[in-house]
Amino acid sequence: MQSQTFRHRVFLFILVAPAFVVLFGVVIYPFFYNIVLSLSNMNLRHIRDWRIIGFGQYVKVFTEPSQPDFYVVFVKTVIWTVVNLFFHVMLGVFLALVLNQKEIRGKAIFRAILVLPWAVPQLIVALTWRGMFNYEYGSINLMLTQWFNLPGVQWLRQPLEAFIAVIITNVWLGFPFMMVIALGALQSIPHDLYEAADIDGASWYHKLRHITIPLIQPVMVPAITLGTIWTFNNLNIVWLVSNAGEPSDQTHLMVSFVYKAAFNFYRYGYGAALSMVIFFILLIFSLTFMRKSKATQNVYS
Amino acid sequence: MVRSKKSTALRVTASYAVLMVFSLIALYPVWQIFNISLRPSNRLLSTSLELIPANASFGNYVALFTERPFLLWMLNSTLVSLTVTLTGVVLASMCGYAFSRFAFIGKKIGLLSLLVTQMFPATMLLLPMYIMLVQLHLINSYLGIVIMYSATALPFCIWQMKGYYDTIPTSLEEAGKIDGCNEFQTFYQIILPLAAPALVITALFSFMAAWTEYVVAAQILQDTELWTLPLGLKSFESNMGSEWGLYGAASVIVTIPVVVLFLSLSRWLVSGLTLGSVKE
Amino acid sequence: MNARAALRAAVGLMSAVIVLTAVITADGCRTSGDDRIRLTIWHQDRIDIRIILQRQLDRFMQTHSGVRVEQLFKETEELRSGFIIAALAGQGPEIVYGPSDQVGPFELMQIILPLEESFPREWLAQFDPKGLTWYKGHLYQVADKLGNHLTLVYNRKLVPVPPASDEDLIRIGKGLTTDLNGDKKTDRYGLTWNYTEPFFFIPFMTGFGGWIMDEAGNPTLNNRGTIDGLKFITRLRDLEKIIPNEADYNVADILFKDGNAGMIINGDWSWAGYQNAGLDIGVAPLPQISSTGLWCAPMVSPKGFSLNANISDEKKALALELIRFLMSEECQMEATRELYTMPTHLGAQQSDFVQRNEILRNSRIQITRGRPLPVIPELRAIWDAMRPSYQAVLAGTMTPERAAEEMQLLALRRIKEMNE
Repeated sequence: MQSQTFRHRVFLFILVAPAFVVLFGVVIYPFFYNIVLSLSNMNLRHIRDWRIIGFGQYVKVFTEPSQPDFYVVFVKTVIWTVVNLFFHVMLGVFLALVLNQKEIRGKAIFRAILVLPWAVPQLIVALTWRGMFNYEYGSINLMLTQWFNLPGVQWLRQPLEAFIAVIITNVWLGFPFMMVIALGALQSIPHDLYEAADIDGASWYHKLRHITIPLIQPVMVPAITLGTIWTFNNLNIVWLVSNAGEPSDQTHLMVSFVYKAAFNFYRYGYGAALSMVIFFILLIFSLTFMRKSKATQNVYS
Repeated sequence: MVRSKKSTALRVTASYAVLMVFSLIALYPVWQIFNISLRPSNRLLSTSLELIPANASFGNYVALFTERPFLLWMLNSTLVSLTVTLTGVVLASMCGYAFSRFAFIGKKIGLLSLLVTQMFPATMLLLPMYIMLVQLHLINSYLGIVIMYSATALPFCIWQMKGYYDTIPTSLEEAGKIDGCNEFQTFYQIILPLAAPALVITALFSFMAAWTEYVVAAQILQDTELWTLPLGLKSFESNMGSEWGLYGAASVIVTIPVVVLFLSLSRWLVSGLTLGSVKE
Repeated sequence: MNARAALRAAVGLMSAVIVLTAVITADGCRTSGDDRIRLTIWHQDRIDIRIILQRQLDRFMQTHSGVRVEQLFKETEELRSGFIIAALAGQGPEIVYGPSDQVGPFELMQIILPLEESFPREWLAQFDPKGLTWYKGHLYQVADKLGNHLTLVYNRKLVPVPPASDEDLIRIGKGLTTDLNGDKKTDRYGLTWNYTEPFFFIPFMTGFGGWIMDEAGNPTLNNRGTIDGLKFITRLRDLEKIIPNEADYNVADILFKDGNAGMIINGDWSWAGYQNAGLDIGVAPLPQISSTGLWCAPMVSPKGFSLNANISDEKKALALELIRFLMSEECQMEATRELYTMPTHLGAQQSDFVQRNEILRNSRIQITRGRPLPVIPELRAIWDAMRPSYQAVLAGTMTPERAAEEMQLLALRRIKEMNE
């Protein structure tokens, strides 16, 4: 008995240890370095001779009158995340369901095309979208004016429209990922469950709500949680499509704020503190979300 | 139970329509990039809606291979990405299994810590990461990059594998035990094949993480001979005066392996849970 | 399979991964095992310059067999932040090459070396003083190219004679701006440029008498030049309608390349690209503003070499030799002949080619009329402060007067934040 438990433990260890060694090796040092930096005054004037100053940077993060305003940026980031995730998941799951039907032929072609937004290099596609949003020459306004007789939208010059433009771009970029996850998740549902429901005369809505959605949850929840975190911290798209915050520095997320502080103004201490704040926000979100969706438990239990 | 033929036909037609519409939406910007690669003189944008640009030529594609070490970049990227994929699949499949099946001290914390590693905005990690890699002599080495990429991709893959394993009933392992398999055999021969769809996602995701990553590679790889594709592509870009023609051509070519990989892995995106493996 | 075998299988798999990794790290050792002294130059030059640089480096290596020089391209922003990170960690290239505004932050962080002791005075005297970047009493950068300046580039087919004044500009622009196919949309504009970016606004600020800072480096954005410059640009767009509604760098570029804009305001980096696109271009200095009598003065920046403070003594002598080689008249003229870059070597500047070539002649005039790019680190804060209000004026949500005030306030605040 004892040797069996020991073997069991060893097996467990072999399974888990390598991954965690790599993970923590890579993350722990930068993490603590950042904590120290956030408590320091490292910036242009104190780049080598920085010292710990306590929570001053954190105070600055919350109270310094900044342009744009910290709380506005925070709310914007939340809206950005929620709207993006909503569309990513809706579209992804929807397309996966449609694509998964047995009557569909040519699945391979559709899959290949629908995965393209994920597969294509982000820089050039983001700039292409930016070009598409140009007031006079962009495809979107050209289509609006020529085909639908609607007036052109000042996508990149007005703050709200610019925000919508970056969201549209990111939704386009992000739905394939959720679609692929959902396609995988759908495979875990045994067919006999659907057949039993059919025999009972269940409607498609009923099947969706009581079979499909609960059963794809275990696989979708990690994707949604991590998707939320990634979207919250996604610097690239906002930066590229809005050309670093245009118009007038209004199109910013908290991450681009950090980037500007650290790389444009050399305020490394401040940037570190802001990163920690972002981190805590995401931590609280994740804890709450995980508890709500009981994601650490099994689905059949 | 018989579904009326008409409602099925309606459903199928509507489905095709939906797929076509979304395919067009997905394709259009990508087609623009293809256009960029065909246009002469580095034109990023176009002022018309034409589908094939005027004076289109494949000159950029030729130049890509003859004037730049594109093939070298592809080779480097392939090497790195395949290693990361293999590492990802092996480590995530095992680790996810542990988190799914076993209860152990620190399990909840372990899972949460996976998430935690993702929560940090990467920009602030650059300086300490660089310092750390310098100390470990991993600058300018592929080992450094593989480690970093694995660390980035693993959390999602582990969690995702765990989620998938959670949908496989434990009764299968019990059946395995009755048949005389030990734990590893049960894992390797019974459970893992059933988790094929999750392995597909893990493989694809790990591959993409390595194939497309730029920031870390730019910081670590200092020799142009070691450049991966994203670094090579970036060299076409300058603040004002980017070589968009080459960039477009490179982007098109870089996309192809990903799509090919996805398609070839897709055949494992099938339901593994068959009837009869366990008698309820 | 028993447990021992299972263990072996797991170990086997892991070993496969490790072996693969080892293979590719051996790959990484491709570059070592070569015992020549290695020098690295980091820069942000576009491809045409890179090709010429490589030729010159190859020649250097032929005459110095124990040395290996490599160039690494990094995009401008990354060059700056990448060099800072590497240098702070005690690493980085031996030589970093770029525009002079890098010097400010690098000096403050003490990651570049003063050079006045490293070069004999007679040698330095060979170069245009504008190419030697002195800062806080020390020489931090020696430049082989002078420029990065905006000029008026015009399509000779559409604009036979370039405008000399702003009134000319508007007149010619109006003549060109047409709707060619009757769809009520302007198909061709007289002028286009990346006017949403503050750097590209500077010439008009100076044309109307303003400048971004005083001698002490304090921002002076709230001035008449800013206000009138802003008004001029909105006038071009809204009243005279000779510039497109919205134009960033790429949009302006494509319009000009397609022949849909007669003139573009762009810098010396772009001329060769337009010629390669088959356009017959001319380069002219930016016009004179009639109401002030001042010429539009863009910023001019030298691009040069600085030494990494972490450089070893062994490599330092070699690096200096390399710099002297690349700064030579021969090397400078190589780039000038092909790419029309303005050399800093006085002999090169006096050469026939530079004196006679039309593009270079005009480039020279523009340079003399230009103002040097400030080197101080606070410049970033000023750019950043200008952008929001500037774009608000363009969006129609702020008046030019208010914008000038806001710019100044924001600049002061940013500078304060940077220097805490």
